[in-house]
Amino acid sequence: MKRACCPKRKIPIHWRDELRESSFPTGKRGIKTRDSWNSSFQIDLGNRPKRCTRPVFSRSKTLGAESGFYHSPLMKKAPGTRRIHTKAARGKSSPGPDGKIHPIIIYPFRHPGDYSDLDPLYELIARLDEDKDNYTRPITVMDRKTFHAMEGNKPFLDFRKGTVARHSDILDAWCVDTCQMWYSGLGTAYERGGAEDVYWLIPGDFNYGNPVGHEVLGRLHDLPETCVELKQDLCIGEIATDHGNSKQLIDTYGTFALLYNWFPAEAREIRQYTERPRSEFFAIRHGFLGEALRQRWYAYEQTVVMLLQAVFANKRISRFFVGHVSDLPEGRESLASALQQVERTERVLKTLWRERNQPKSGWIDEYRRLESQSEQVRRTALTILQNLLS
Amino acid sequence: MNLNRYGGAKTLRALNFICNAPQAQSVSLVGDFNGWNPTSHPMKRMPDGAWLLTVELKHGHHRYAFLVDGVLSLDPQAQGITRNDQGERVSLVSVS
Repeated sequence: MKRACCPKRKIPIHWRDELRESSFPTGKRGIKTRDSWNSSFQIDLGNRPKRCTRPVFSRSKTLGAESGFYHSPLMKKAPGTRRIHTKAARGKSSPGPDGKIHPIIIYPFRHPGDYSDLDPLYELIARLDEDKDNYTRPITVMDRKTFHAMEGNKPFLDFRKGTVARHSDILDAWCVDTCQMWYSGLGTAYERGGAEDVYWLIPGDFNYGNPVGHEVLGRLHDLPETCVELKQDLCIGEIATDHGNSKQLIDTYGTFALLYNWFPAEAREIRQYTERPRSEFFAIRHGFLGEALRQRWYAYEQTVVMLLQAVFANKRISRFFVGHVSDLPEGRESLASALQQVERTERVLKTLWRERNQPKSGWIDEYRRLESQSEQVRRTALTILQNLLS
Repeated sequence: MNLNRYGGAKTLRALNFICNAPQAQSVSLVGDFNGWNPTSHPMKRMPDGAWLLTVELKHGHHRYAFLVDGVLSLDPQAQGITRNDQGERVSLVSVS
């Protein structure tokens, strides 16, 4: 069914309120019409929408095979997908006068037991996919390990073929860690993009299935729109968690403590914007993404690195509150995982500090001093986290 | 990007801005919508000491701040934080 996209001003106020209260609003770029609401966007919080259950589609695409992401004989072509060339491989076309928003979805590495969280996410993605005036074709990055782990799982294959591949281009990639999935997705989107474009990272492993998650999905569009409307280079989405949440504890006692050690001035600046310097929700402008992609990309804690790069280069940063949402359980809340996250952050910050300071004479003495302090900070963080999480 | 694509820029929505500053002598609302003019949007003091002003804003994202006795102050209840053209930290609100 062809969906009309009528000007927002033509939609009576009471319709818009009704729509806003009933499902995910997607702002002016995704406002629903009464027709579309009645015909295809009825969302039952407890059941999978009909559009996503048993689809038969022919528009599925898989990216990455031709762009060097995988050549392993282990990688079979997923059912229902065909490989396509990226625009970059075909030759980039010139961007239009208006920039577009590129949604990049990071498919959960560990597949959830059911689709109650992924269904509402891909309802949103379907809407973005249809709004071609404002959004480019979404890209879903899926780790090949996830695919192989679920290879014999029919519901997964159906969901991949019927929902994910229908509403987005699937980028299959072997990735060391989540941030490499970001790198693959953002890099592919960047090659398709133009100077005015904005890239919107949407993590897939959050609990979007409950009413609070729906509310978050309704707010996420604010991130790229803030970049577009206010000409920001980076907009970080901040989620609210309770004080005992492991992410909050790690950021308070680990991430910021280490940041203040290695980059004190920049840490103060970052903290003026956000208490979540490792947020997975963000939107980034084309020019700044190009700069970030050309620098060393880390397999983890890349948001911290991008925030630092933004402060180094005096970029325009914003923070937007996206709501109360939490990761799907993957064991990240354990003490062992918390320790690993602190250690990774320290490793990344050390490396970044060396890269920036090696050209200076006497850098090694300063490095040793900071490293000694860093070790104390890390040990203290580990002790605190052990007391709080174990 | 063409912000008038859906004509939403013409839609006005009333928003309540509340600044809790019981000790202040004067509070005004400044933002992109009034050119950061300190006199165009004075806020009214309520019996509980909070300052209130209802403003109709267009669809989109707006930067704003409270001017409390002449000092630029962030809104602790704001949806976001950004900087204005002078590089000062200001609050962010989304009107949909």
